[in-house]
Amino acid sequence: MCDHCLKHGTAGKWYLNAKLYSNELAEELDLKEFLMEQYKSFEAMQVRKFGGFSAVGMGYKMQMPIIGRIVKYTAEKMLHTEKPSRNPFKAEGHIGQVIPLDDAIAILETCVPEGSLIMKYCMCRYMHKGEKEACCINFGIMSEIIDKLPRFIPEPEDSKFRITKEEAIEKFTEFNKKGYIGTIWYGAYPYINNLCACQTPMCAGFRPRTEFGIKSIFKAEYVVENNPNNCQGCKRCITMCQFGAIDFDEKNKVSVIDQTKCYGCGVCLHACRFDALRIVGRKEIPALAHEY
Amino acid sequence: MNTRGVLVMGKIKIKIDYTICGDGSKIDPRECTVCLKVCEPAIFLLHQSLDFEEEDDRYDPKIWRVTPVYPSLCTLCMECVNKCPENAITIKS
Repeated sequence: MCDHCLKHGTAGKWYLNAKLYSNELAEELDLKEFLMEQYKSFEAMQVRKFGGFSAVGMGYKMQMPIIGRIVKYTAEKMLHTEKPSRNPFKAEGHIGQVIPLDDAIAILETCVPEGSLIMKYCMCRYMHKGEKEACCINFGIMSEIIDKLPRFIPEPEDSKFRITKEEAIEKFTEFNKKGYIGTIWYGAYPYINNLCACQTPMCAGFRPRTEFGIKSIFKAEYVVENNPNNCQGCKRCITMCQFGAIDFDEKNKVSVIDQTKCYGCGVCLHACRFDALRIVGRKEIPALAHEY
Repeated sequence: MNTRGVLVMGKIKIKIDYTICGDGSKIDPRECTVCLKVCEPAIFLLHQSLDFEEEDDRYDPKIWRVTPVYPSLCTLCMECVNKCPENAITIKS
């Protein structure tokens, strides 16, 4: 299993360790003020300059011969840091992982503090398309923080603000079936505060990775496998995959999953009506075992 | 390294006129959002303007702007230039 899970996980995965969701941990790390400052102007994070450098024009910076590598190294170092964050305007320790539906339900059932679940408008959708979609589940101390930031609170016709565990599971399952990718995030390492339903390219967490190869998010602990005996060649799974990881074998008329591209989000399973797709552990396939 | 966007003619420079749109000027980009919606590679990002932090309410900021954050992905389709109701966008390559 990955080094991070070994260090932080119980049951083998860091995001199934209930201690990392606890309000006590958030208080111990003094995160309420930090996260409040961060969320007040989170949308502007990508244009803020640090040492004269911002994310604007990242593509051009990445294409420069040596500077490109320095940029990638610095960005990843900042995102992956395990040191306690001091600066709320930097995305330090703000890293996440793709999770399939079953893991998300396990998190909502067993790890999230009671009575702290909220649904908020996804900030990334708003930043990228000016659309307000209530698909981002937050928990723990986030309910007290988002309470003071009116632009995130959903209108009653879009969604309830405070939700129960059952409502959260129902909503999240609905989004997963629509093809929105489940992702779990550190608010600032090691506190976990956010379970989102992402759509590329409108996700600020995915874009550095899918566009520029910067590891701002990790692939799931799983990949998907297709059973060619059951597969009827309907291609519905291909339209669901946001990563282009599914190809079609014209000769045998079955879908073929490129497991090196598969992020293990599992939304393609909802599209299959013939029980041909299956989620398997990433570490069961030797070549992929450390490929996050 | 998987970067999209090819350096064909050098960098593409996308400029928005902030005296027309955003930064508390004539148009509030949150009401319009046309460039955000028509851009297929989602180059534009909507965010609160940084210079106005002291005057604006930081809990509920009212002064926003649109920035082209990923100009390397621009396909030069010109949809944003054509569809902007105030002609606030210019593109040079």
